[in-house]
Amino acid sequence: MTFIFDAGYTFWNPLIWIIVFLVVAIIVYFFRRTGQKGYKKDTDQARIFLSGEEVPEAEERHIRVGNIYWGFFETLKEYYKQMVRVHTGIINDYILWFVAVTVVSAIILVIAGRVG
Amino acid sequence: MAALVAQSPILIIAIPLVAAFLTPLIGMKSSKARNALVIGSLTFAAFLVFALARDISINGIHVYTLGATSPSLAVPTGFMVPVRIVLEVDGMSIFFGIIWSIVSLAAAIYSLSHIAKETGQNRFFTLLLLMVAGGFGMMFTGDLFNLFVFLEIASIAGGALIAFRTGFADTQEGGFKYIVVSAVAGLMVLFATGILYAQYNSLNIAYLAQVIQYTTLDQIALALFLIAFAMKTGMVPLHLWFPDAYSVAPASITGMLVITSHACMYAAFRICFTLYGGVIDALVVGWIIIIVGLLTMFVGVTMAVYQKDVMRFMSYHAISQLGYMWVGVGVGLAVLGTPALLAYGRDAMSGGIFHILNHAMYKPLLFFTGGALFYYTGTRDLTRMGGLAHKMKWTTVLYIIGTLSISGIPPLNGFSSKILIYESVFRFNPILTIVGIVVSILTLASFTKAFHSAFMGAELPEYKGGQEVPKSMIIGMVILAAGIVFITLFPSLIVNWAIHPAADALLDQGAYINAVMGAVP
Repeated sequence: MTFIFDAGYTFWNPLIWIIVFLVVAIIVYFFRRTGQKGYKKDTDQARIFLSGEEVPEAEERHIRVGNIYWGFFETLKEYYKQMVRVHTGIINDYILWFVAVTVVSAIILVIAGRVG
Repeated sequence: MAALVAQSPILIIAIPLVAAFLTPLIGMKSSKARNALVIGSLTFAAFLVFALARDISINGIHVYTLGATSPSLAVPTGFMVPVRIVLEVDGMSIFFGIIWSIVSLAAAIYSLSHIAKETGQNRFFTLLLLMVAGGFGMMFTGDLFNLFVFLEIASIAGGALIAFRTGFADTQEGGFKYIVVSAVAGLMVLFATGILYAQYNSLNIAYLAQVIQYTTLDQIALALFLIAFAMKTGMVPLHLWFPDAYSVAPASITGMLVITSHACMYAAFRICFTLYGGVIDALVVGWIIIIVGLLTMFVGVTMAVYQKDVMRFMSYHAISQLGYMWVGVGVGLAVLGTPALLAYGRDAMSGGIFHILNHAMYKPLLFFTGGALFYYTGTRDLTRMGGLAHKMKWTTVLYIIGTLSISGIPPLNGFSSKILIYESVFRFNPILTIVGIVVSILTLASFTKAFHSAFMGAELPEYKGGQEVPKSMIIGMVILAAGIVFITLFPSLIVNWAIHPAADALLDQGAYINAVMGAVP
């Protein structure tokens, strides 16, 4: 059994990556160990400091899924508008798509068969 | 042992089928005995699959004829064509069989706790076993009519399982949509089978492959087969039903439905390469598959980023990943019969097939983690989740493994298959690789978004009292994660032992035909 994956021009050795990750993890652990020794869990030391401002409750400060990648969706607004329009949720539409794609595919195959 | 292996193709189908009918009877007496029967039968079927795989790797294609004096006697004495039901298992069939056996076993173990609070568990496990039998049948059958029959068995069981949780309205709607789509696709497969039967008087795939002429009717039958199976796999633009159905099923069933999509993909490959392999207009069909595959990748992932329902989000990703497989195998088909096949076509196909195996490990795992989130929170809505890593440590780690794998992050297995696809399809057309890499980046971005929404952040007050999901659910997920780790560590072993033989089996149409027709006395 070998770790090396060599499929002609594709060469890949996962073991090297795993070793690299382990080395990085050990280095990170080493730096973490050099941290503040006097830290005590579940005391005021562990409280969030927000420049002296009052820290909101957990549910208020959690960034929800709807707020992530806002810019991406704003840029592709038109694309998503069209895509959502197609996803009607109506089974009749789904079958209509099936019929249309089948007919188009059959026409392409028959024409290609004649030409070929 | 040799006798067991000789009978294994039919046993692998019959064992879950018989267990399905015994399940409600035993379940009436004892739920523990029923669970033991379900797990035991699936474990034994998996054992037989691996034994058969070993035998095929040594002795080649395995033909099993029902009712014949010898299982390998496909064409009876005095006949020129096979008339009995023939099962034909080659490198490609057994490759899918291995996947199906592992995932169905993991799903059954996961289900023990996942549906423990539901009523009608006897019916659930009966349907699950029927679905397993249908899936194995699709992969092993050597004739078109039985392909249709097993497709129907798997589809009907799948539809009922999607609608299993009757307390939710959306499950009934999802089950209904799945049944309608499956029935239409099944009818088209039957219609196409009828077209071929009317012309060639046989249903046997090997015989038909030998005599097929590629008439206009054959071309129409090819379109019907291809599009019917493409719709069952959720290929864009026929994917619309896919998230509606997959997102509402119990998570264990969603994991299995992904593999039934693979089974339909297998059927499409079998039709293109084996049945029509000698006559098909490979370049045209290959390009159709490639273009639609690219669309599937792109539309799937962009719709996934948009989702707020964790199971719909994962369903769209399943669609997107299926696109990679179509593109890889499509390139192989487009260059079929040309020197480019040996130069990069076989590697592109191997990449696509390798990705099927990887997808079969990480996608059900991710669906199972989605099911675990639903189990813990009682909602699929990501906007209502947060901070779950504090309590769901196992689920968090397993989700990360699945995420890194699906996004193709080294060193996980998803990367191995993606690099094989990228580097081989680049030589066919660089745009395919560029789209693949963009889709991979979007995949990682969307899974990071879902990870942050569900697992990160401070512990939310409404989820403070909970605890990690039960052990059997974790074991089901760990089995699949172990598969990911194994493939990650030994990609070469997997490619040489399973992937290349599967690709070669598809390309060697003559061997498939000879295994049945060569048995003429």
